[in-house]
Amino acid sequence: MNESDNTAVADAAASAGGTAEDGSQDQDERLAHRGPIQQLLTRPEIGALLGAVGVWLLFWLVSAPFGTVGGTANFLDVAAYLGLMAVPVALLMIGGEFDLSSGAMTGATAIIAILLAIDVNGAGLGLHLAVPLSLAFALAVGWFNGTLVEKTSLPSFIVTLGTFFMLIGAKLGFSKLFTNKVLVEGLDEAEGYDFWNGIFGAEWLRNGHLWDERRWSGFWLVRDEIWAGLLIFGSLALLFGLFELTYERRATVSSTGVAVSLAGAAAAVAGFAALNNSDGRGANTIFGVLLAAGVVVSVAGWCLARYERPGRSERGVSHRWLQYSLAGLAAVGAAVVLAVVMNAEDSSQLAFLGGAFGRSVFAAGIAMVGLLAVLAAVGRVSPGYPAIGAVLVAVPAVSFLVTVQAARAILFGGLAMVGVALLWGAAARVRPAVWVSGAISVVLVVLAFFIQSEAGSRKIRVELFTVLLLLALALAATAVARHMSASRSAAPPPPAFGRWTQACAMLGVAAAAVFVVVELADGDGILYALMTGAAKGGVAAFLSYAAVTAAFTLFTRSEGVGRALVTVGIGTVMLSVAVRLLFVTGAELDKICTVGSDGELRCPQTQFGVVVLSFVMFAAVGSWVLTRTQFGSWIMAVGGNKEAARSVGVPAARTKTTLFMLVSAAAWITGMLIAFRLTAVQADVGDGNEFRYIIVAVVGGNLLTGGYGSALGAAVGAVIWGMISQGIGFAQWNSDWRFLVLGALLLVAVLVNNYVRRRAEKAPVKSGATRPDRSGIAIIVPESLAGSTRKAEKD
Amino acid sequence: MSTDFLELRNLSKFYGNIIALTGVTTTVNPGEVTCVLGDNGAGKSTFIKILAGVHQHDGGDLVLEGDKVRFASPRQALAAGIATVYQDLAMVPLMSVWRNFFLGQEPKKGVWPFRQIDIDEAKRIAKAEMAKMGIDIRDTEQSVGTLSGGERQSVAIARASYFGARVLILDEPTSALGVKQSGVVLRRIVEARDQGLAVIFITHNPNHAYPVGDRFVILQRGRSLGNWAKDELSQAELTQLMAGGAELEQLQHELSQAGAG
Repeated sequence: MNESDNTAVADAAASAGGTAEDGSQDQDERLAHRGPIQQLLTRPEIGALLGAVGVWLLFWLVSAPFGTVGGTANFLDVAAYLGLMAVPVALLMIGGEFDLSSGAMTGATAIIAILLAIDVNGAGLGLHLAVPLSLAFALAVGWFNGTLVEKTSLPSFIVTLGTFFMLIGAKLGFSKLFTNKVLVEGLDEAEGYDFWNGIFGAEWLRNGHLWDERRWSGFWLVRDEIWAGLLIFGSLALLFGLFELTYERRATVSSTGVAVSLAGAAAAVAGFAALNNSDGRGANTIFGVLLAAGVVVSVAGWCLARYERPGRSERGVSHRWLQYSLAGLAAVGAAVVLAVVMNAEDSSQLAFLGGAFGRSVFAAGIAMVGLLAVLAAVGRVSPGYPAIGAVLVAVPAVSFLVTVQAARAILFGGLAMVGVALLWGAAARVRPAVWVSGAISVVLVVLAFFIQSEAGSRKIRVELFTVLLLLALALAATAVARHMSASRSAAPPPPAFGRWTQACAMLGVAAAAVFVVVELADGDGILYALMTGAAKGGVAAFLSYAAVTAAFTLFTRSEGVGRALVTVGIGTVMLSVAVRLLFVTGAELDKICTVGSDGELRCPQTQFGVVVLSFVMFAAVGSWVLTRTQFGSWIMAVGGNKEAARSVGVPAARTKTTLFMLVSAAAWITGMLIAFRLTAVQADVGDGNEFRYIIVAVVGGNLLTGGYGSALGAAVGAVIWGMISQGIGFAQWNSDWRFLVLGALLLVAVLVNNYVRRRAEKAPVKSGATRPDRSGIAIIVPESLAGSTRKAEKD
Repeated sequence: MSTDFLELRNLSKFYGNIIALTGVTTTVNPGEVTCVLGDNGAGKSTFIKILAGVHQHDGGDLVLEGDKVRFASPRQALAAGIATVYQDLAMVPLMSVWRNFFLGQEPKKGVWPFRQIDIDEAKRIAKAEMAKMGIDIRDTEQSVGTLSGGERQSVAIARASYFGARVLILDEPTSALGVKQSGVVLRRIVEARDQGLAVIFITHNPNHAYPVGDRFVILQRGRSLGNWAKDELSQAELTQLMAGGAELEQLQHELSQAGAG
């Protein structure tokens, strides 16, 4: 999709060339407009995001409980403890330093707080003093680390290694000195426990309280429509926003088109809602078709309303589309047959390669690796060949790990992905013939319903059905949009309602304040009240922003709604997922909830610790600070070139010391969360985690040498780690091999990250971009960039 | 003479008993390029550091708009409008052009806890200022590391002039560049001059200095060999002065006369 898009964009730019002088101030005529998806691909965290999606898909296919709310709570919990630290560690890394004491520090703050608080020899301080004192200690160590690194110019690696050992020694020493044990316990008996437990021990129960339970208990099923409706609304907003950012607008908006679009959207919503509540298979087919048709009509109506149909002359047909679509359909069909034929839940290990055959493959593989490595070293064969041997070594090893079901799932996933990619390619190649994409979508819909009726396992029946249906819709919608519109040559303007945005933000802040007060009055803990209050305020601000965007989209002809629509779309989809995760839905009601003798519903509760909330907040705030604030700019500057930063007035020493203190403060929060969850802490808790934080940050796209990276990426990296380490258990793989899988998947994640970034950074520059500027000096496009453009055009 | 913008009178600097710089006299005016030439160890760095406020002079006077001044810190010099673009370039290669342009002085918007960089404004200004320098940046989001040496110099110069510099000191801007890139930078110097900046161009290459300079100071072993306006000196004479001093020039002069006669 991307490749051909670039070409189209570059062509459009070529035809519009030279007119940019008077028009846009931000955009340059030599720079082809990049669609939003391509801009996203240049972000440092994109590799991690793709990796996270891939890992999630893998375990979702392999294990039934992984994709449920319980499984999500499980891996998010692991991810949150890691990510809470990984975000500030990533910031410090971008600032060019390491903190090896960060892991030990988490345990140290917990031990200090407990030791100071509990009554040892009649001298306990109580938690009201002990908890702030441990924060003070953490900040002091952070300041010490930062100042020492700055004053001595020693590598932070050495300095914090020293602090690391000192902390380990002190933790063990003081634990034994005061309690004669390596386990420090008794937090729950300390003075002030209830108050602080309300802050750090809070848990967010998933208990169905979307509205007040009693008053609304007649409307349980409404909740399904809430999240499903949000999902549909969000997806449509996202789709339209992306179109808006990618394609040219027509001068006037056609009201017929708008009406058609709205009717289609209504049909789609009705279809989805009905589908979600019906169990009859025949009815499902009808509702599914209603949904599919609704989405396509809605998209087509929108395109009709907003975009001109460009002249036919610029289109050309590639002759390869037929091969592509046939191959794609074959792959998808094979995947589907595979899924349907072998859909039993078989979780036994694939041990058949472990016998004599496996041993001989293993031996042959090792021999090949050795031989080919020697040949590669003397230049006789390409360095890629030893990899073949390595694969032979890996096959028997992996067969021990993977269950029969997992092998099938991986095979299915791979085949399906290849098939869909090929279909997508085919659709991109036949731009004038919208009917090819339409036919492919129809085939996908038919396959989806075939699976729906034939598959035995519920997972395959319901979830694969949904995925295939969504794919079909996306394909059809994209085809319609492509057919109706031409690519943009210039960047779309920013949203035209800046003042409204500020008003929404104000509203959100005010709402957050009110919610916090209400939660506090309810007797919830302070941290919990602050965080849920902030979250609710954020939702309020977002909803009003969405309303403003909708109003502008429907009632004005403002050009600048594209970005706002994308924001609203992403936000709504996230909101939908959050509603799905945090509240019991109607479909689950029959299965997991019971009605008690007093007529009240009782549902098993899944607990999200307050740590997950803190993690999300940290990721959001860290990302904002890094990309949007002055301090973020300074972090990148001191990590990228400290002397340069200093010479233009950036307080480099202060920036770095602040970062060290930030890491320590995060370690304190993590330590408190651990302490209040366990109430007893081992002396060695947290030791060794510092490397995990660094690894997770690197997986997230942060440069080990500083100066470049992403806080959000580190958070995503933590989620990947959490998914892998918990998913292996869910998939019933042999957990002895956990670190092998973990290491391999991390390596893959980093490689994907690198590859994606390198490809994405090759910006589509107009060919022949070497042109004199006003002063007669050529601005030269690097060879690699020009080359890639030419290649894309040949395609 | 009192109307000169910046005047150096017998400026001297001693490190203990070492004479680092002595007897430097010249004038710097808006719309003029004053070239300071000298070989390695001639005292060019000391000269820059005095003007940039890193060091303070021990003898002579530094007169800014008629007032004797003495800069105690780089910040003071900057506040007086004297900006220095160092040889090693105060640039962070992995950061985008607009971030580098505004580094340390980011334009901000919003109230305190939510105060953030006004990114659109920063990008717009960076692009416009670069355009004034005659460099048409394709995308201010591209990282400085992808720019050529000459373009980086231009970012540094544009930044200095945007943040209110009246005197621009360029420390060996062409020394690390190829012939073509040097041409680019020399053009930037002329453009900065035409915008009304006073430029002090430090170099050891008379071929670079002569075409753009209006006034020349030649330093040798910490002493000033003199201070010439452009019409008092030919390029050959400048080269001669740089290469071997007055004696060699005398010899050359006699030889060429003999040859002509």
